[in-house]
Amino acid sequence: MIAIFKAVLSSALAGLLGLDAVQAGQFLFSRPAFVGPVLGWLNGCPLDGARLGILLELLYIDFIPVGGVVPPNGTAAAAVGVLAHSAGGLPPSLSFFLGLAAGTAFSSIEYRLRASRSPWNGEIEEQVKAGNFSLRPWLAKSLLVENAVMGAYVLCWAALAACLACLPGISALYPGTDFAFTLMPWLGLSGLYFRFRTQIYKKG
Amino acid sequence: MFFKMFLRSFFIQAGWNYERFQNLGFAFCLQPALKKIYPDREKMKAAMLRHLAIFNTQPYMASFVIGNIAGFEAQVAASPDPEARLKSMPGVKQALASSFASIGDRIFWGRLKPMTTQICLLVWAAGGFYGWLFPGVETPVATALLLAGPLAGIVFYSAFALHWRWHGLKTGYACGGSSSCGLDCMDWSRLIRVLSTSGFLMSVAIVLVSFGLLAALNYSPLVSRGEFYLKLALPLCVLALHRLTRHFGKSVFFAAGLILAASVAGVSLLNLRSFGL
Repeated sequence: MIAIFKAVLSSALAGLLGLDAVQAGQFLFSRPAFVGPVLGWLNGCPLDGARLGILLELLYIDFIPVGGVVPPNGTAAAAVGVLAHSAGGLPPSLSFFLGLAAGTAFSSIEYRLRASRSPWNGEIEEQVKAGNFSLRPWLAKSLLVENAVMGAYVLCWAALAACLACLPGISALYPGTDFAFTLMPWLGLSGLYFRFRTQIYKKG
Repeated sequence: MFFKMFLRSFFIQAGWNYERFQNLGFAFCLQPALKKIYPDREKMKAAMLRHLAIFNTQPYMASFVIGNIAGFEAQVAASPDPEARLKSMPGVKQALASSFASIGDRIFWGRLKPMTTQICLLVWAAGGFYGWLFPGVETPVATALLLAGPLAGIVFYSAFALHWRWHGLKTGYACGGSSSCGLDCMDWSRLIRVLSTSGFLMSVAIVLVSFGLLAALNYSPLVSRGEFYLKLALPLCVLALHRLTRHFGKSVFFAAGLILAASVAGVSLLNLRSFGL
């Protein structure tokens, strides 16, 4: 019961932190390197949370949100990774790859959310023409929907992780995923290296 | 007025949509200035509708455009021929939005954001925590240190973000109406070069220290010479694989997927001996 409560609380927090990615603030509280240890700490596994977070962060360095491109979502990836381990009962290695998949899959949801706001423009123009200049309700609606969708999404993936952990024979995969997981820091470090090496060669 | 606009600038992307991008956020940020400039409701209505048009730029650098357009609107309101002054406004707005998007993307997304990760790793290293590099190894570490790493990165990044948000607003307002406003307020190319060089040097240092740690941890009489070299070669193979996938235009996730598939096939299905680095 406590585990379910913690999972719901963590999902809600992930939804709140997720707003920082695009919608509000953009202080980088939504980055996996922060979301991982915070949710890990909340769920009693800060070290695993920090590891999952920083490894996801290193892989996410490759993506830049320029020109309206929707990159994979780091908040969803880290939150799902941590909850798949703490609430779902999967080992950190499989949780990491599950988080990676969840972050990538969230892009299409984010795309739909952004597209769903396009028809608002006409309605807002009508409202302004009628003499009502308040834009706050529209922005609040946008924030609330994003928050709720992210929270529900993370919770669904945590439930999926719990179901996966119950699959017979799933533990046979663990040695393979564990080995792949030990190589991820090096893949991340190579990402960090190439990110700046390319810039140096481009000369700014 | 400035402080209200500054606070509202944190929500510039709240209503991001594919039809007009940041238009809702832009109009929301500009509202305090428009209210002050246009006490007349009809003029305010016209101004609001003007700024609900398409707008897109880098969110932190948007402050330069917001400040500029606020200053421009004040000049329009005071002008004897406002219609003539308004004609150039969409052009100025578009020119500044494009220029600052390019500068901001390169500074914030391309340089400062990856640097926050480097700062996190450096803080952890200073606190003696390298556990992230060896996922199989259990190391006791204080939760405060785990949180201090990313928080240090956030503080570093936010210092830049807050400075440009506020400074951009002030600078933009001071030279409102000019299409080069703010672009010459500092040597952006030099800043970008400095950040690139610092980031590259930190990346090289982090990679070298990581390889040094890997070698030091495995250099032991208990580890055979062959296994030692294998453990050093594997990360290099990962680096080469990533380089190769980049060459073919594939993302890092493709490389991660290849490593996962090969590991599961080799270790889980073919029962090859697994080992930790």
